[in-house]
Amino acid sequence: MSRPPGQEADLSALRERLTRIREAFDDASRAAEDPATVEAVRVRFLGRRGELTEALRALAQIPAESKPAIGKEINALRTYIEDSVARAAESAGIAAMRLELARSAGDLTLPPRRPWVGSMHPVTRTRRELETIFREVGYRVEVGPEVEDDFHNFQALNLPPGHPARDATDTFYLVGGLLLRTHTSPVQIRTMERQAPPIRMVCPGRVYRRDMDATHLPMFHQIEALCVGEGISMADLKGTLAHVWQRFFGADVAMRLRPGYFPFVEPGCEYDISCQVCRGRGCRVCKNTGWIELGGAGMVHPAVFEAVGIDPQVHSGFAFGLGLDRIAMMRHGIDDLRLLVDGDIRFLDQFAV
Amino acid sequence: MRVSLDWLRELCPFDADSSRVAAILTGRGLTVDALEQSGSDTVLDLDIPANRPDCLGHLGVARELSAALGLPLLDLPTVPSESTALSITIADPVLCPRYSASMVSEVCVAPSPDWVVRRLEACGQRSVNNVVDASNLVLLELGHPIHFFDADAVRRRAGGDPAKITIRLAREGERLRTLDGIDRILDRETLVIADDLGPLAIAGVIGGADTEIVESTVNVLIEAACFCRRTVRDASRRLGIDSDAAYRFARGVDPEGAPRAQVRAAMLLTELADGRTTGAVTDLYPGRSGPARLTLHPGEIRRLLGFAPETEAIRQALEALHLAPQAAADGALLVRIPSWRVDLEREADLVEEVARHVGYDRVPSHPPTSAPTEPPQRISAMEESVRDLLSAAGFHETVGYAMLAAAEDGDWIATGAPQGVAIANPIAETLAVLRRSMMPGLLKAALSNRRRGIDDVRLFEVGRCFVALPGSSAAPLEPTRAAFVWIGAGAPRHWSRPARDVDIYDILGLVERAVAALAPAAELRRVDCGVPGLRPKESTGWQLANGSFVGRAGRLHPRAEGELGIPVYVAELELDSLASVEPGWPRHQPLPRLAPVTRDLSLVVEGGLTFSAILAALGRIDAPAPARFEAIDRYEGPELGPGRSSLTIRVILQPFERTLTDAEIEGYRLRLVETLAARLGIGLRG
Repeated sequence: MSRPPGQEADLSALRERLTRIREAFDDASRAAEDPATVEAVRVRFLGRRGELTEALRALAQIPAESKPAIGKEINALRTYIEDSVARAAESAGIAAMRLELARSAGDLTLPPRRPWVGSMHPVTRTRRELETIFREVGYRVEVGPEVEDDFHNFQALNLPPGHPARDATDTFYLVGGLLLRTHTSPVQIRTMERQAPPIRMVCPGRVYRRDMDATHLPMFHQIEALCVGEGISMADLKGTLAHVWQRFFGADVAMRLRPGYFPFVEPGCEYDISCQVCRGRGCRVCKNTGWIELGGAGMVHPAVFEAVGIDPQVHSGFAFGLGLDRIAMMRHGIDDLRLLVDGDIRFLDQFAV
Repeated sequence: MRVSLDWLRELCPFDADSSRVAAILTGRGLTVDALEQSGSDTVLDLDIPANRPDCLGHLGVARELSAALGLPLLDLPTVPSESTALSITIADPVLCPRYSASMVSEVCVAPSPDWVVRRLEACGQRSVNNVVDASNLVLLELGHPIHFFDADAVRRRAGGDPAKITIRLAREGERLRTLDGIDRILDRETLVIADDLGPLAIAGVIGGADTEIVESTVNVLIEAACFCRRTVRDASRRLGIDSDAAYRFARGVDPEGAPRAQVRAAMLLTELADGRTTGAVTDLYPGRSGPARLTLHPGEIRRLLGFAPETEAIRQALEALHLAPQAAADGALLVRIPSWRVDLEREADLVEEVARHVGYDRVPSHPPTSAPTEPPQRISAMEESVRDLLSAAGFHETVGYAMLAAAEDGDWIATGAPQGVAIANPIAETLAVLRRSMMPGLLKAALSNRRRGIDDVRLFEVGRCFVALPGSSAAPLEPTRAAFVWIGAGAPRHWSRPARDVDIYDILGLVERAVAALAPAAELRRVDCGVPGLRPKESTGWQLANGSFVGRAGRLHPRAEGELGIPVYVAELELDSLASVEPGWPRHQPLPRLAPVTRDLSLVVEGGLTFSAILAALGRIDAPAPARFEAIDRYEGPELGPGRSSLTIRVILQPFERTLTDAEIEGYRLRLVETLAARLGIGLRG
């Protein structure tokens, strides 16, 4: 079969052209390392006016019987270029991402933008912790007035006028005869006046005594607990104290009761826990006794029940109290009472929330 | 009270060493605060509770040891012979249940022997002379105060005749120079030992100067008595005399102990000062009462202690404590209260005695049982929330005194508000009245922090203030408030940009944010701040719809700011008002499916016109969909002219049912612009 020489020439020219395109593509493709260049290569060869697209147009000059073969070659080249471009695009993308990841965002050891953090007073923290422990065993938090009358602060607590135990509490009296409560116990009285047994309550608050030196402030904080019902005994007091302090200080804390006198309880006691500094071995803090006195406790005195109209033959109850400031100081290792009322931000900031 | 171990051993022959004795006494309620060597002796520093005056002497402490150790208590001679040689009258047996007197003659006042000096020293007292020391030894040993008169001085007052002594209340205005050299004017509530000329001594408190023991004293009149506790206590407090005698009489002295004290005093005067005694005592005891008796039921022990010792153990405990138990009906025990145990008045007291004796360690431990509880009062919850909120916002919680100097809080009180409640016995002038505002305390704390070199001060306090009810003797109101102060940066400082100082919008925003969190349903209305401590044009107050005041915020008045020398922003919140707002839960609103449409209006605003006035005008115009407005930019510049500013307001339309057409949106925008021009005379920026 013979062909016109002109057509033969077109065919070989097209073949040559395809070879050149392939070489040119290979060169361009090798040089293309970033996504933009890869895209430029794609457009140069595969775009609407791309080299391969133009070559395809030359197919029109090729005799019909040669078209399938040369068409196949062109398609193979197109597939080759498309695949290569896709691979190049992918690796260029990865390279670009690597480059971005490698770029420094600045000195990350510089201080970050920190939101402000305030603080909660150590006495508040301690009070909340204790309130939570009490709430878990069914105690309600009660509050009462800080300005009290003689009845609620003294008389109803079995401290009649002239009682020597009144001397121990230096009371601030107000012009007109009222007083600043010397303990949180009047809240117990007010609760019992208002509510019939069973009662389980805990009353935290500020109290006032006319005393100011290195170990006393004229205003400080107490928390007291009261449990009244039928059959409440000192064994319940002991168990509740043990529970509260084991929750607060840890399961290994030991506790003991000693006889002690508070006019509003009978039998009365003081309670100690094993020294948290030396773990009971004896140190300066516990004066080598291994014990730290925490507060007073006891069975509610029948005279107190009578003052609030509860029958002491039917109901019994226990109460205990403690100084929150002292517990907070123990908890946080604070050695100077005055820090608690100084408002020094350098101190307060140590109790950030 | 300081107690000598050697002395205790003389009264109760124990072998136990000092640490064991300390453990025993502490375990029985006589807390040993310290142990100390004093020569070859050991001194125990005891904390004697106020209800145990019987232990205010070595005898009483030894009695506890004898009970604990089952050892005998050495008897002291107690039976003097009776005499009526002295003329003594008791005016009121309630005030003086017992009065006894005896004579020791021919004493020779001289320094005390060494053992007396050492013993007194061990007990923290200084030796005076053998006669005075003898009375102190009796007090320290028996806990029973006695008084020595110079018998010749007493006789001289009576013109050489035997004195007629009366124990009576003083007459108004009667005078006595007490042995501390002070002339005292007495009142009709003070019990005195008097002769015909007037008082010789204030009963149970202090002796008179002209009958006191002096170097030349030869004959001594010994008084051992028992006086009314309350009368002695009140006299001691009124006169400001804290004598060892008054301390003991006020707590309760054993009337049966008077003869023992007489005998012991006479013995010591004989031994130490070569005195002579007949042993005869004139003893008046009109206030004699039989021993008190109480019944103790084992069931009561079980009820109060949660366990009951065996019957025999209970009986032994009572016997050891000299309570002489006898079987009574139904297994109960009838006990006789010893005269020295003034503290045993009810059955519960006996339960404690048994517990004390068997040991509190024997009480079992019952873990708490839980029960449902009521929620806390709303004000408590409110206090906690405000603490959470402010500490999370970067504020530090302080605790301030509730007392301050008179009128110190005047800047924070509305004019005409009641005076502060004054303390009758303040501890200092600076702590003389109850605070009506927490602001003064907070500002003082802020100033101290600034002086410590702290630039940024953010402090808060939550607590009570005290508001008197005018014309009423009722207790003052105790509103619970939160107060805060903000100085320095308005936002966290960072190296990436210059610090921004706190301004009025910071504090207003914080207050409104706090109220929204604490009482979401509160509808606030701005009112005047109401106090002179804030700048009138840079402050505000808030009210609830019902008129109750919620709080105030603003910048300190220049007068108050002066000391700090920097802008200071403060706020106070009335937590009771917020607690009165019904708590609520957020109601879910359906979410729009369509995107909001926004248009910005850049307005040129004349000086006096406020954002809220513009908002009110904008809000009245019909909108094609629910609309809201935000201020997004404010600018003042020379090109706008003086007193004018540019305010950009973003109008946000939120369609719910259908997309708005451009025409609708543009029509609305034009209505806004026209209304602003017509009603407020403001236009868009050029």
